[in-house]
Amino acid sequence: MSALAVEAKRLSVGYEELDEVLWAVRRATLGVRAGEAFCLVGESGSGKSTVASAIVGILPPHAVTDGELRVDGKLVVKGNERSYEGVRGRVVTYVPQSPGASLNPYLEIGDQFYHVLNSLYGLNRREALEKARAYLGMAGLDPEAVLDRYPHELSGGMQQRAAIALALSTGAKILVADEPTSSLDAHLRLQIVELLRRLRAEAGLTLIFITHDMLLAGALSERIAIMYAGSLVEQGPTGEVLRKPLHPYTSMLIESVPVLGAKRPLKPYAGEPPNPGELGGGCPFYDRCPSRLQVCASEPPVMKEVGDSHYVACWLY
Amino acid sequence: MSHAGSTDWAIELRNVSAGYTVAEGFKAIRKRYVEVLHDVSFRVGRGERVAVIGESGSGKTTLLRVMLGLLQPLKGDVMVLGQRIYAMPSRERWKITSRIGYVPQDPFRSLNPRLRVADIVAEPLTRLGLSESEKLQRLRAALRMVQLHESVLEHYPSRLSGGMMQRVLIARAVVHEPEILLLDEPTSALDVSTQAQVVNLLNSIQERLGCTMVTVTHDLPLAQYLADRAVILYKGVVVEEGALDEIVRNPKSEHAKLLIASYALGASGVVSPLSSSAAK
Repeated sequence: MSALAVEAKRLSVGYEELDEVLWAVRRATLGVRAGEAFCLVGESGSGKSTVASAIVGILPPHAVTDGELRVDGKLVVKGNERSYEGVRGRVVTYVPQSPGASLNPYLEIGDQFYHVLNSLYGLNRREALEKARAYLGMAGLDPEAVLDRYPHELSGGMQQRAAIALALSTGAKILVADEPTSSLDAHLRLQIVELLRRLRAEAGLTLIFITHDMLLAGALSERIAIMYAGSLVEQGPTGEVLRKPLHPYTSMLIESVPVLGAKRPLKPYAGEPPNPGELGGGCPFYDRCPSRLQVCASEPPVMKEVGDSHYVACWLY
Repeated sequence: MSHAGSTDWAIELRNVSAGYTVAEGFKAIRKRYVEVLHDVSFRVGRGERVAVIGESGSGKTTLLRVMLGLLQPLKGDVMVLGQRIYAMPSRERWKITSRIGYVPQDPFRSLNPRLRVADIVAEPLTRLGLSESEKLQRLRAALRMVQLHESVLEHYPSRLSGGMMQRVLIARAVVHEPEILLLDEPTSALDVSTQAQVVNLLNSIQERLGCTMVTVTHDLPLAQYLADRAVILYKGVVVEEGALDEIVRNPKSEHAKLLIASYALGASGVVSPLSSSAAK
């Protein structure tokens, strides 16, 4: 595996809408190191799930791309050409947001493993179930109690564990998890976070975690990237970004999140994130930024290195 | 039987058990009563800010329906503003429950897409017999309270952002200046940067109206900002009740301990840096 598990260079992803393209991600440049836990944080509409779909290779047919994306060293996106052969499902795998919706409701859990492993590697039923037992066990489930159950017979937490086990059973070394805990109660959320931490260490995974939750990102990742309205605005070591945020939007996210036991005033910021079709030519955060400059209205800021591996896209730096 | 209870409390539940009848079997011939709330008792004082905290399936929504006069409990007494609301005919009950303002959970599904904002916000005023000018005055006052511009009155919900929709719902809940405000997960559909605006707005409205505010939520950190006292609900049972800060510092029940541990995500995480920055 190369030093970078995922590398995006000025990656843009848009969706064709009638005769125009709505760009959900604009010129994103980022690198995820092999074996690290990386969090992509953003609010609804920030483009974080679109980046995840591009990495995993599940962009819809009406998606339009530009720039470059490499996964495990293989060029999967170049301009508007995309090729995920040998990568999708084998090198990179995916845990979606809603476990209930991602598992096939008509297949028992064991059959879901068989279908995936048979189509990827041609394993027979016995071999697939053997593998399923190992990965379900690794995910903290009792395989014999789960294999012949349908998804609706499992609780939300068990469904998410089964979905993680299924994703890992492909042998992929890069796991992209898109808000895997957002549909779970707080105590189950903690269990899944601990499971992902453990699995990452045991299986040597590269973990790319997509979330809107700063607390979760802080607990789980070594490096973090913040997205706003389709643009990457800041990235760097998690502790440093959270303790010394550089971009005004990162500061806003940190100051707005309620933290248990730390009853500071929640700092409100006016406005809401813009829709992709409403963006002007300057910084996407211009309308809400308390520190905006004249240049911010017309020129989009470029990502630059400010500290040790700490990058920010803001005209203040 | 007298309808009157103690007038010291805005809401008082005494040994309330409630649930639903579900149909089962072929052609739904079997009926079964599923009890969701078991022997729930608590009181909310006038002008108090209380949070009912529970995870999915804990009975939060059922409890809200009971307090709003929409679900007759199987047993127990429900007193709203000193009146036993289920001991009176529904027409009388409405007179009491119309003094409650209610903010539902999901702004995207709670606004009638065919009505303009003016008609949506004016709904609670329809039975008050106000003149058109009085209505308009109330509408304007409600919009000012939620910091929305008057031009929004002519818009349909589809033209509003999530944060604006939530403000419209709050305006509808407060337009008749209720004595009790019931909030069902008031920020769960909003992004974190919009959430802070709504939290601060709700607190300023509560202070201005001097009303009782009951927030039903699964979000313990958020509850700290909307309530001083908490009732922890688990599987339909009140497992702990008291000052919210005290529960966070020193939880007594196993469930509250688990809940608090779940939010203390990380020794390695953001909790410590944020907590320390908060202390500065």
